[in-house]
Amino acid sequence: MNSLNRFADPIYCIFRLVIGLLFACHGGQKILSFPPGGHGMPTDTLSWIGATIELVGGFLIAFGFLTRLAAFIAAGEMAVAYFMVHAAGKALDHAPSAVEQFFPLLNKGELAVLYCWCFLFFLFYGPGRWSIDALIGKGRPAAPASAT
Amino acid sequence: MTWLNLRADTVYCIVRLTIGLMFACHGGQKILGFPPSERGLATTPMGLTAGWIELSCGFLVAFGLLTGLAAFIASGEMAVAYFLTSFSGKTLNHAPSALDRLLPILNKGELPVLLCFMFLLIMFYGPGRWSIDSLLKGKLRGAATS
Repeated sequence: MNSLNRFADPIYCIFRLVIGLLFACHGGQKILSFPPGGHGMPTDTLSWIGATIELVGGFLIAFGFLTRLAAFIAAGEMAVAYFMVHAAGKALDHAPSAVEQFFPLLNKGELAVLYCWCFLFFLFYGPGRWSIDALIGKGRPAAPASAT
Repeated sequence: MTWLNLRADTVYCIVRLTIGLMFACHGGQKILGFPPSERGLATTPMGLTAGWIELSCGFLVAFGLLTGLAAFIASGEMAVAYFLTSFSGKTLNHAPSALDRLLPILNKGELPVLLCFMFLLIMFYGPGRWSIDSLLKGKLRGAATS
């Protein structure tokens, strides 16, 4: 489309790095207690699985190793998190109304939705130019596909 | 894995739509009072500016009209929001420590960071296939050739 498209792939890689690290922070809060301020160590199996996916998947996505697989699993986890916790209104201190179930902004599930869609995009776009996948030749640097 | 890449642009357009609409919700809270929020409508000039940017740029990005420009403005607004509010610890009820400043997960600035980078990507990637921009471009090209 224009001169900006030339830099879409590097920007994508920086974006992937930032999002992966932010995502890994959530897993770290649950498993490693770092960063501080989480709800403590997970107690049930489901949150252990969630925390492991967040920590491992986050780092894999950040550095672009097995990007598509990690992004697929992480997107799935975020979809589960959104529907089980946020759309069900468990993040609120009252029973959710219909409007609250519909708007991610009101049921505090905006972050989960954002992560879910971003990881879905990562799954389709691939690892990008600056990634371990591209280094070891498994993923091919994806061409910016804006066909406008 | 190229069969996934064939669909990347389509998925990108759906992501753009979702993110744009969720961003517009924030503006709607500040300007229109819908979706409802406890904080009410924006009153300060800064809040009004932010609200209008979020509302208008959210819809522009969602439907892909003037995508690059709208995403640029929205990305800038989110960067300002992060550094002015979250990074300086105004969302916390205590003075921020160095660690609070460093990690968006602790200063509650994760959403602005994510949106800022997402809009930056949208600005560089372009409107994508399913957008008003590419519809208009096709129309213009058709008019020029006929």
